[in-house]
Amino acid sequence: MTSNTLIGGAVAADDLIEDLEPGAPVKRYWLVRLVSIVAVLAIWEVAGRQVNPLFMAYPSDIVHAAYRMIASGELLAAFLDSMKTLTLGFILACVAGVALGLLIGRYRYVDAATDWLVNALYATPLVAITPLVILWFGLGFPAKLFIVFILAVFPVLINTASGVRNVASQLIDVGTAFAATERQIFGKIILPAALPFMMTGIRLGIGRAIIGMVVAEFFTAINGLGALIIKYGNQFETAAMFVPILCLMLMGVVYTTIALRFEHWVAPWRFTDDE
Amino acid sequence: MNQIVLKEDVMNANPAQKVKLAVSGICKTFRIRNANGQQSSFLPVLRDVGFDVYENEVVSLIGESGCGKTTLLRTIQGLIRHDSGTIKVDGQEVKSAGRDRGFVFQQPSLLPWRTARENVEFGLELQGMAAGERAERARKLLALVGLGHAAEQFPHQLSGGMQQRIGLARALAIDPTILLMDEPFSALDAQTREVLQKELLRIQAQTRKTILFVTHDLDEAIYLSHRIIVLAAKPGRVKEVITLPFAGERPELPVMRGDPEFQAIRAHIWDLIRSAPANS
Repeated sequence: MTSNTLIGGAVAADDLIEDLEPGAPVKRYWLVRLVSIVAVLAIWEVAGRQVNPLFMAYPSDIVHAAYRMIASGELLAAFLDSMKTLTLGFILACVAGVALGLLIGRYRYVDAATDWLVNALYATPLVAITPLVILWFGLGFPAKLFIVFILAVFPVLINTASGVRNVASQLIDVGTAFAATERQIFGKIILPAALPFMMTGIRLGIGRAIIGMVVAEFFTAINGLGALIIKYGNQFETAAMFVPILCLMLMGVVYTTIALRFEHWVAPWRFTDDE
Repeated sequence: MNQIVLKEDVMNANPAQKVKLAVSGICKTFRIRNANGQQSSFLPVLRDVGFDVYENEVVSLIGESGCGKTTLLRTIQGLIRHDSGTIKVDGQEVKSAGRDRGFVFQQPSLLPWRTARENVEFGLELQGMAAGERAERARKLLALVGLGHAAEQFPHQLSGGMQQRIGLARALAIDPTILLMDEPFSALDAQTREVLQKELLRIQAQTRKTILFVTHDLDEAIYLSHRIIVLAAKPGRVKEVITLPFAGERPELPVMRGDPEFQAIRAHIWDLIRSAPANS
């Protein structure tokens, strides 16, 4: 797992704590991982060639299709289109989720007023409200933005709120004992203490934001990577269809890794004593 | 409140002694809600507690567990509101937390995202002191508690004893009139505890701070204090105030334990705590 290597890295930078996992085994894990990747690709390549190309593509074919789509500029245009929806929707979800989460976590009345709604909406498969979203916002960009937002906001909000609720009462006591104002307690104790939880929420939100993006591209105005999937699916060009799918996968992995690294960076103390 | 003087005391011989902390008539009752949330019962924790702490004095509050000693200390700090009675620091009545009282917690309670130095700066930062000035002050205090080398370390990189030293430096940083310490060494191992007890005496001698110290450890109380306030439990009230004869230069705790006078005082306090009625 990537988290293992991250922990290894964090520990190595810190001279007071003994390195529990010396360099050699970490390298060995990477080697095993590499072998596994090569093996899977090789099997896929060999097996994929035996199957009707209508149903399955194989890696070299996909690379070929990707090259063609990159050269024509089609992939980049679709990618940027998708990124626009995803990035803006996700940033809005983070801002709103963190702000609401802080209020809900800190103030019991806000919590009581909203928890039923938050729980109900979080439990609803929000993809189901897509037709309603189209009625409200039409088929354009705002509808896509809303779908990404509504899917990504709840993990951020719920994790932020639970982060605020989980701030150790001893730390709040420190603020009170040193005569901190409510604002100082919020800014200097609650916010930094809840930050790791927020980052976890943000990381979980990324996956849902990408789902929202693809759903929006399928069911509202068709564009972006989702549009490419539909287009090449309809044309039975399976190899070309795999290209945007792999792009989505790559986006998810890259974003999640960045968020995970960021989590370690903002709260190194959380990751020192776990296994 | 009856006061026995076991030996002529150097501290109290001075008539010009200033009262730093005056506690009088403190009462506190907790309401305990039952599981069903309907009925509730009342638990009196403190009843008419009163005592004075003089300038440069170290006073320990001791008593069996549940006697309200920690509640009393937290009340003085303003972390808990009392039902009646007054708390005066330097003659001024106080009702909430303030810069005149520094608090050292039982758990170090450091902010994990701050370095040792930034933790010590915490109180100063709240007061709006300029960054350069407070960093300099924090470094001096870290040096005072013997952690000058660890200023830029994070709490999770430091041992429990070191963390508690930072907690002490943080409380001293705001230059309080009186230092309130809530069983600060109880979570540490025996060796570290003895080292820190000695350190506290050195720091107290250097800074001339007035200290009110809560502990359940008899040896610690006798070793550190000029006076010991023994609390009776249920509800907590002052049972006896004992003035100790060991003011001034003290031998190390293991040596002191062999002193017959030390043993006599220890036995006396032990009797006081044990004879407390263990009813209700």
